[in-house]
Amino acid sequence: MYQYDAIDKAFLDDRVSEFRTQVQRRLAGEMTEDQFKPLRLMNGLYLQLHAYMLRVAVPYGTLSSAKMRRLAHVARTYDKGYGHFTTRTNMQFHWIKLREAPDAIASLAEDGLHSMQTSGNCIRNTTADPRAGATAEEVDDPRVWAEAIRQWSTLHPEFTYLPRKFKIAITAAAKDRTAAKTHDIGLSLRRGRDGSLGFEVMVGGGLGRTPYIGQTIREHLPVGRLLSYLEAILRVYNRHGRRDNNNKARIKILVAQLGTEEFARQVEAEFALIDGSKVDLPDEELARIRGFFAPPAFATLPAVSKVFEEAKARDPALARFARQNTHAHKVRGYVIVDVSLKAPGETPGDISAEQMDVMADLADRYSFGEIRVTHEQNLVLPHVKLDDLPAVHAALAAVGLATPNINLISDIIACPGLDYCSLANARAIPIAQDIARKFADPDKAEQIGELKIKISGCINACGHHHVGHIGILGVDKKGEEFYQLTLGGSGAEDAEVGKILGPALPAGRVAEAVDQLVEVYLRERKDGERFLDTYRRAGLEPFKEAVYVAAY
Amino acid sequence: MMALTASRLIDGEVVFWNRGQWVERFGQAELFEADEVAGQAEAAAKGQPNVVIDPYLIAVSEAEDGFAPVAYRERLRALGPTNLRHGKQEEGGHDVEVITRAVGVARSGGRHNLIKRK
Ligand code: HEM
Ligand code: SF4
Repeated sequence: MYQYDAIDKAFLDDRVSEFRTQVQRRLAGEMTEDQFKPLRLMNGLYLQLHAYMLRVAVPYGTLSSAKMRRLAHVARTYDKGYGHFTTRTNMQFHWIKLREAPDAIASLAEDGLHSMQTSGNCIRNTTADPRAGATAEEVDDPRVWAEAIRQWSTLHPEFTYLPRKFKIAITAAAKDRTAAKTHDIGLSLRRGRDGSLGFEVMVGGGLGRTPYIGQTIREHLPVGRLLSYLEAILRVYNRHGRRDNNNKARIKILVAQLGTEEFARQVEAEFALIDGSKVDLPDEELARIRGFFAPPAFATLPAVSKVFEEAKARDPALARFARQNTHAHKVRGYVIVDVSLKAPGETPGDISAEQMDVMADLADRYSFGEIRVTHEQNLVLPHVKLDDLPAVHAALAAVGLATPNINLISDIIACPGLDYCSLANARAIPIAQDIARKFADPDKAEQIGELKIKISGCINACGHHHVGHIGILGVDKKGEEFYQLTLGGSGAEDAEVGKILGPALPAGRVAEAVDQLVEVYLRERKDGERFLDTYRRAGLEPFKEAVYVAAY
Repeated sequence: MMALTASRLIDGEVVFWNRGQWVERFGQAELFEADEVAGQAEAAAKGQPNVVIDPYLIAVSEAEDGFAPVAYRERLRALGPTNLRHGKQEEGGHDVEVITRAVGVARSGGRHNLIKRK
C-alpha cells in the first residue's frame, strides 16, 4: 500500500494548522461566512441539516487497517460513533462541530488521512476497482495509476479552480466495478493487439440534473502518456467549460455541445503541444509507486481447502455467504471477500466504530492489513485464505457484517437524503430499509439474482439512481415525499441511463412497486437473464402496467 | 404562524429564536403571528453573522396538542434524522412528540416565503 513520505506528512501537518487558523479567525468574526465557506469546503467540511459534515478521502478506495482504526477513533471522538461510506468511496461523518473540526482533521492526519479534494471545483478522489491487486481479471494494478493521478492532481495550480468538480475512475478489468462511464473521465486499462498497455479514455459521463454516459475519445492511449493526456482534457475543459451556470459547467455539457469528435480533436491538438517529459511520470517514479503495490507474500496453497469445505458442509449460513460474498482470487487458495454494509434495517453505507475496529483486526489477521471501499457502499477484504474463511465469516457475523446479499435486491445504494442533506427533496434511507425488509428472505433474494437498486434524495444523484436497474429519485410533490422510478439503468461496462417508469409514487407505495416489478421479471424472464436483461428484451410496458394499471 | 431558525456557527446545531436569544428546541421557539414582528426578528438575526448561519423564517401550524413546523424538512431539523434516534429527539419531550405525530405538509423548502398555499 502506498506510504506517505516525510514531505507528504509535513504537507498534511501544514494543511491542518492552516485550517486551524482559518477556523479560529472565523469563530473570532474576522472572516465572514462567504469568505470562510470555500475554505472549509476545500477541507471537506459541509454544513448539513443537523450539524457539519466532514468528508474524508479514501484515495482509490484503499484503506489500511491503521487508517480504518483511525476512522473508528474519529467516529467515537468527534461524531456519534459511526460513519457513512459514500458512492465515491469516501467516508462522511455527519455530526461534526466546527470548533472541533481542526482536531478531527489533525487526528486523521496522524494516519495519513485527509479531507482535501473531497469537495469544491477540483479533481476529486479517483475511484478504482475495489478488487485491484486481487482479481485475475485485471491487466495491471489500477491503483498504481490512481496514485499517480492523486499525486499529479493534488493542489495542481492549473486545476484548482475548474468550472466544476471533476471525477475520474479507473479500472483494469473488463468487468467495470467503478461506474467509469458515469465519471467526467473513465479510464479502462487494456492490452493492445501488440501486447502494450493502454487506456481507453472515456469523457463526459456524469449523473446529476443531466445524466450522460461517457464517450470514448481514445481507444488506446499508451500508459506512459496518461498525465499528459489528462492535462490536455482538463485544459480544453478549463478553456471552454461554462462558468456562468453551475448546472452547465460540467465537462459532460461541453462534450455534448461540441460533440465527441470535436472535443476529441481539440484534446488531441492540445496533447500534441504538451511536452510529455515535463508532465508524464519518469519510469523511476512509476517504478517507485508500483513498488508500494507489490503483491503481498501470498502462501502456496492447494486450490481446495479442506477446512473450508468441511465447515461449509456443516454451516448453510457460511455456504450462502461464500456463494454471494466471495469471488475468485488470482492466487490459488485465496478469495476476495465482500463485506456488505446493507444489513436489513440498517442504513446503507453506515458502519459503527466497533465494526470499523473489527474490520481493521480482520484485515490484519487475514488480509495483509488491507481493506477496500466499493462505490456500492460496501467493503472488501481483498486477500483471504479459503482456510480462514470460516473464521472470518464468524467474526463478521458477530458484529452484523455477514449479510450475504452482494449484488442482490437488498444491496441498495442510498444517499443520506432528507435525513441529513440540506439539498434533499425526500428521504432515501427509509425507502431502502422498506425494500430490504420486503425482500428479507434470502432464498427469495437469491432466486431473483442480480438486481441493483439505487436511491437519491434529489436530482444531484449522489445515489446514482439514473444507473440503477431500478432507480429511485426522491421528489417533492406539494411538500409530500414522492418517488420517481426509473428502469433499465446500468453503471457497469454496459452503462445506460434508465427510463422513467411513470408518475411518481408516494413513499408508502415504493417497496410494493418494486415487488410488482420483480414479479413481472420472475414471470417474464428466460434462462439466465438478470432483471436488467429481461427489461432490455421485454421493454418498459409490462413493468409499467404492473405498477400503474394492475394496482388501481 | 412563523418561527425563526438558523444553524449555529460554532457547531452547526439547529437553533430557534426566542426574544433575542437562540434556543435549541423548537418547543422553546418564539412563535410570530405578525409578519412585521417576524421580519424584525429576522433582520436582527441577520445582524449576527458570527453567531448563526443563514437565519430564515419557517411556517408553523397548529398540530394536535401543540405546534409543528409545516414543512417536512423543518420537522426533521427540529427532531433529527429518522434512521437513527440522534439529534434533538434523543432527549424526548412534549415538542418532540407533537412534531412526530404531526401530519400534513407544505413544500419541503420550509422557508416561510417559499411556501405555496392553495
Ligand atoms: C450529504 C451531503 C452531500 C451534498 C451536499 C452533496 C452535493 C452534491 C451535489 C450538489 C451534486 C451535483 C453535482 C453536479 O451535478 O455537478 C452531487 C453529485 C454527486 N454526489 Fe453528492 N452530495 C452529498 C453527499 C453525497 C454522498 C453521501 C454521496 C455518495 C453516496 C455523494 C456522491 C455524489 C455523486 C456520485 C454525485 C454524482 C456526480 C456526477 O454528477 O457525476 N454525495 N452531490
Ligand atoms: S442526491 Fe441530493 S439528497 Fe442525496 S446526498 Fe446528494 S444532494 Fe443530498
